[in-house]
Amino acid sequence: MATTAPRRRRRQSKLQQAVDIPLDWLEERSGLVGATKYFLFRKVPRDSSWWHTLGSATLTAFLVQAGTGLILAFYYKPDPDKAYESIQHITNDLTLGWLVRGMHRWGASVFIILMFFHMARVFLFGAYKYPRELNWIVGVLILVTGMLEGFTGYLLPWDQTSYWATVVGININASAPFLGPFIAQFLRGGAEIGTDTLSRFYALHMLAVPGALFGLIGLHLYLVIRLGVSSPPWSSEGAGRDRAEVKPTGRAGLTRGRRV
Amino acid sequence: MSSAQDERRAGFERYKEDVENEGKPFFPYAMFHDTVMSLVVVSVIVGLACVWYFTADGTEPGLIGPHYVEEADPGTTSFIPRPDWYFYFLFYLLRIFKWPESVVLGTVGVPTILMILMFALPFLDRSRERRLLRRPVAVVAAVLTAVSMGVLTYKGATARESLGSEAVAAVDAWSSQQGGFDETQRSGAEVFAQVGCLQCHIYLGSGSANVGAPELSDYGSTTQRTIEQTAAYIRNPAEFGNTVMPPFPGLEDAGVLDDVAQFLHASSGATGDG
Ligand code: HEC
Ligand code: HEM
Repeated sequence: MATTAPRRRRRQSKLQQAVDIPLDWLEERSGLVGATKYFLFRKVPRDSSWWHTLGSATLTAFLVQAGTGLILAFYYKPDPDKAYESIQHITNDLTLGWLVRGMHRWGASVFIILMFFHMARVFLFGAYKYPRELNWIVGVLILVTGMLEGFTGYLLPWDQTSYWATVVGININASAPFLGPFIAQFLRGGAEIGTDTLSRFYALHMLAVPGALFGLIGLHLYLVIRLGVSSPPWSSEGAGRDRAEVKPTGRAGLTRGRRV
Repeated sequence: MSSAQDERRAGFERYKEDVENEGKPFFPYAMFHDTVMSLVVVSVIVGLACVWYFTADGTEPGLIGPHYVEEADPGTTSFIPRPDWYFYFLFYLLRIFKWPESVVLGTVGVPTILMILMFALPFLDRSRERRLLRRPVAVVAAVLTAVSMGVLTYKGATARESLGSEAVAAVDAWSSQQGGFDETQRSGAEVFAQVGCLQCHIYLGSGSANVGAPELSDYGSTTQRTIEQTAAYIRNPAEFGNTVMPPFPGLEDAGVLDDVAQFLHASSGATGDG
């Protein structure tokens, strides 16, 4: 008995070392361990609620799109002669291809809906006010970019629905004054919607637009962490009132002050 | 510094202090909620994918749509274009402003104003008040926005476009109103009805005016063009400075381009009561 306890302790400290040494190594060279700790253990308002999950839910939907999109890109062929066939192949022949394509297709709608819900939450909570104005603007940019991602992806299956929806979309664009015809010409890549159009939409959908989205979402999350998530309007600080005048017993915190 | 600015800053300082003293750590509390919600989101996506896959069969639509429709075919445009649902509101906006003079309001005007309002929101509403009951303007704006987006989306989803097959049935009526078509003109009318011209042009009450396209019921009696010029125009409108109307090279390939031009030139507006 007397010998086992120190031995166990020694074994534990060895284990501890096995974890600590690489972490210390990483921390000394990058600061990443401290950053992760800061991210995980930063304080959020006591009364933050389910409403606050809509942002990370949107992020999840976006990551589902990125993952399923990558798999689809392994098999999809951006060529008017082959695109439709490759979509059929993915849906009908590949193992679980239907699931990946189905998730990508319906995930797009879920992503857009969640962006609107999250935005509604931010609006109703007045969370766009000082000092979060810039993050609201980044959010609007994300919304527009997200819808652009939907527009460019819609053409890729190269079936009648996608083709004619794009024809109308581009024509509407062309009817705008000044820049309209140029943008339409750029998207079409020629006089007609064809091979060049599909290549362009593919490049935009696979690289340019998601790249922009990744960057914007990164900036968005940086600002969320830097400024902190706002407390709900019903808590004393969030409502824009001054702190409770009544001497708070116990906690003068975010929820308690409301009783004043 | 203005005192409003000072107040805002002081308010944020108080917020930071409160959160520091009273808040809960993100992990595990908020992260737990986030994880549950994310699992719900992924389940919903997988669920939709399953319902979609197992109730539909290829081009046969199931509960929420087919796996795909027929392959894209630039030649036959009897297909009704429909964007993905989250563009319905824009799509329908264009139908509200469909007259040539105002179409720019739908394509550029309203969307630009909306974008400016969205970007400017935090600068338009600078009060510190965040309780909904004390923000009547914001509440009314939110309700109006939600309702109008909902209505526009619904209208866009249910907007009945003239289906090619329905429009073909109208060719007889067109013929009698225009004083009788010969065989070529009739063939041209049928092509015209089916290839999508009616998505933008109105002809004797059929179709819908979109993106500023003129009514063509009396084209023949008003145009300065010859039949050949009209055919050239339809083949590639961009050559004539019309970058809105798509080119229709498929018509020439099918040998019906001239028929369509003949038909248009036989159109002088309603003459009889048909
Ligand atoms: C995407 C919408 C759209 C479609 C589809 C479309 N057009 Fe047009 N068309 C237009 C617009 C817009 C104009 C007017 C352009 C202008 O005034 O510069 C126009 C102009 C014309 C004109 C010239 C009218 C005039 O008075 O000068 C003719 C003829 C015409 N279209 C025929 C057709 C035919 C035939 C089809 C089907 C094969 C067709 N259009 C399909 C949008 C469309
Ligand atoms: C890809 C899309 C988006 C992602 C992944 C995302 C993610 C997030 C996350 C994780 C938060 C933390 C708080 C919360 O979850 O509510 C947040 C906060 C915020 N978001 Fe977004 N967001 C997106 C789109 C938008 C849009 C479209 C807007 C508005 C136009 C917006 C505006 C804001 C603002 C102002 C905050 C701060 C809210 C607060 O502190 O209470 N975001 N976002």
